[in-house]
Amino acid sequence: MKPRCWLAMLLVVALTGLPGCRKKGGAAADAFRQAYDTEADWNDAQHVIPLGYEQAQGKRVFYAQCVWCHADATPAGPSNRSNVTPVPPLMNDGATLNSASDDYMQNIITLGGSAMGKSAMMPPYGQTLSQDDIRAVIAFTRAIAQPPYQPPAHPGSKYSVK
Amino acid sequence: MAAEEMGRISHRMRLAFAVASVIFVIVLAISPVKDLRREWKQYKRAYVQFAQKRPDTKRLLADFRPGIDQIWLPEMGVVDRCTTCHQGITQSTLAEAAVPQPFRTHPPIPHNVREWGCTICHRGQGPSTEVAEAHETTLAWEQPLLPVRLIQASCGTCHRANLPETPKLDRGRQLIAEFNCIGCHRLQDGERPAMLGPDLTNVGTKVSREWIYKWLKEPQTLTDADGNVTLDGYETEEEPRMPKFRLTEAELRGLSGYLSTLRSKTVQPYKFDPRVVAAWSRKPDLVDQGELRFRQMFCSTCHALAVTRGGETKLIGGDIGPELTKVGSKVNPEWLAAWLRDPQAYLAHSKMPRYQWSDEDLYKVTQYINTKLTDPDLLSNVPSLGTPTPDEIQLGQRLFVEKGCASCHVVEGVKPQKDFGPDLSALGGKNVSELEFGESKIPRSLVTYIQAKLTDPVSVNPAARMPQYRLNPADLEAVTTALLSMTGTPATSGLERLIVPRTEASFHPAGAFGEVYERYKCYVCHAFNGYGGDLAPDLSYEGSRAQRQWLIDFLKSPQTLRPTLVLRMPEFNMTDKEATTLADYIGMVLQNPSVNPASLEAKQFTPQMVSLGKQLYEVKYQCQACHTIGSSGGYVGPNLSNVGNWMTPAWIEAWLKNPQALVPGTIEPRRPFTEDEVKDLTAYLLTLRQTVKPQKTARANGANTPEPGAMQ
Repeated sequence: MKPRCWLAMLLVVALTGLPGCRKKGGAAADAFRQAYDTEADWNDAQHVIPLGYEQAQGKRVFYAQCVWCHADATPAGPSNRSNVTPVPPLMNDGATLNSASDDYMQNIITLGGSAMGKSAMMPPYGQTLSQDDIRAVIAFTRAIAQPPYQPPAHPGSKYSVK
Repeated sequence: MAAEEMGRISHRMRLAFAVASVIFVIVLAISPVKDLRREWKQYKRAYVQFAQKRPDTKRLLADFRPGIDQIWLPEMGVVDRCTTCHQGITQSTLAEAAVPQPFRTHPPIPHNVREWGCTICHRGQGPSTEVAEAHETTLAWEQPLLPVRLIQASCGTCHRANLPETPKLDRGRQLIAEFNCIGCHRLQDGERPAMLGPDLTNVGTKVSREWIYKWLKEPQTLTDADGNVTLDGYETEEEPRMPKFRLTEAELRGLSGYLSTLRSKTVQPYKFDPRVVAAWSRKPDLVDQGELRFRQMFCSTCHALAVTRGGETKLIGGDIGPELTKVGSKVNPEWLAAWLRDPQAYLAHSKMPRYQWSDEDLYKVTQYINTKLTDPDLLSNVPSLGTPTPDEIQLGQRLFVEKGCASCHVVEGVKPQKDFGPDLSALGGKNVSELEFGESKIPRSLVTYIQAKLTDPVSVNPAARMPQYRLNPADLEAVTTALLSMTGTPATSGLERLIVPRTEASFHPAGAFGEVYERYKCYVCHAFNGYGGDLAPDLSYEGSRAQRQWLIDFLKSPQTLRPTLVLRMPEFNMTDKEATTLADYIGMVLQNPSVNPASLEAKQFTPQMVSLGKQLYEVKYQCQACHTIGSSGGYVGPNLSNVGNWMTPAWIEAWLKNPQALVPGTIEPRRPFTEDEVKDLTAYLLTLRQTVKPQKTARANGANTPEPGAMQ
């Protein structure tokens, strides 16, 4: 056999041995990132919104504490929303809630409406829910918002300066 | 070869050597290049590039570790190298969805990732440093990652008791108990309850052979045009617990024939007072009055009825007992009267309370059930069966054991087969190679296997004896989650120590209270010291909460305290003595140690405190958002119009200070009241009394309350 052929063969062997030529697991890994839980869009039951872990925990807290006044249907049937004046916003009301920052939401849930210059009918949950629970509720709100919530333009921690 | 040419290398050879050296160098270089291009190293480099584009580069790079990173927990046998690529899981700033995987922060969970590792929850192959090896099933590793949607199964491997964070797992466990899987399968932590399916020893006295035939063929009586029923209402997941067995015509005839002959105790027809019958049978509104009584007694708290409105059939009512829409066409009228008077005489483990019936009520209600809750077409597809032949009975008797009926239903003298179905107590840890997929074309994985088996048992094994259950997609996921959580005995003693066992509580007091408590089955809806149902309020501390006289009045004529509820406490027609016995025991025993009745004296409240309390209630804290007084207010919390007669001062004070300390998980938020505010509010609330009893009506809040049935 001619040396040139050896050269060619060796090169072929070397190249196929390189790991870079192998198929990556990226596509398959996507299947594992399926939603932890889901929530049907309140305005359109056909549209199912995937929820991550934190949003799913928020869903749990929401359906225990908030649903009574911030939704029109509750697990027990009718909602208390119509009994409250001023009428509380629906939790998926993006037009109202998208403009509120995460910090504002965290404060009004923790300290109650009166602390933030809003209705005292919104009670404070700072001694009932953990801060993680409250963050989770906000994450859930953002997930179900219609029109959809857009996170602020500059992501990253506000405490870290370049 | 010439001598002068010895030792000289020809031009050709020189070239060959040169080429060989180059090849040798290339081959030597392959190994370091290969090492440099390892998958995990590519992720390391990508992370550095990614971090350089972030505003917090400095901090991210300070935490960067160039080599293989692993979490090693020798006690639990965990070696997880996942953090080699998933480098940002503990970086709080990488939580946004915009951060590409595998760099994103792990969502906040109750466990610290560094202390627990990854594979304990996610499964997969921890020591691997290649994507496919770590995440998927390969030839050498059969345990792939658990899909995130089913990950609550991993919570369940250690937490055998239910957790608030794992609703899917809890629902799955509840369904496994409801569908009586334990009748045929061995399950992890499963205890066989006293009653699975109904005892059939006397079933021949209850229903006809034709009805049994129909039920065995298609165990569903309610269907709309599509063959489905829209389920609605509070906790109304009404599905017959009886699954569908694949039976041939001969088997149906045999089983129905055998069962219809089971009548070891005959039913004595109840003799109504002839005067009652004579007076009522002439009234034109007898059936309507019966229906009204049925509703007033709140039978719908446990039994649902189908209601068709606007072309949609909905079941309204509870699911503790079976739905009753067509029960009048099912049961024998004599059996019905006997059953209502004493359910436990027919079925010792029945959850149905033994009501105090007057002849008038019993007559009205049975007439209503036998006339209105019927369907003349229910048995129209059943061939006329006649009296069973001895051959049919013999076949039925044999099939009763062979088909597994005896695994859930008791018939006196019939012994079920032992270990009828496969042992499922370690199913969640099974390797794919241990599963039988048969001819099916589904992807080979544990999850697809479990779901195929649950959806259609014969799809993976044509000879399966398992009957057909009907599960909606959400319930299918829930049951799969619960089954995956059963992984059997832990592999290491370190893991075994992590198990949080399920605590089994029981509350069956003796004495006079115990008798009344068992008669009215209080524990089916209420919980006592961790035992009992969750439909109605937990009564563990009811003695600290309620005043004695209020309790007696309530027990004799239950008024709802929460107007939005569809399911309410039934009217048992308790006697005075029974109500007093219950109230006395509750007041003596069911006390919360932290509520001191002597801490507050009603006398210490002044009118100033009352008026201050009223202002706090109405203006500062606006309690009316959730509570009703009189006719205005919200209905999230209980109606407080009569709270001064209802609750004890000490309870109100303790509750205002910290509701969750008295009833864990109650939704009333704990508020930062001052000591004085608590006193003022208590003073005000104690003045709220209703002297006139609220009108006794089943439709107190007509407009807002979805009414069971088409009563309007």
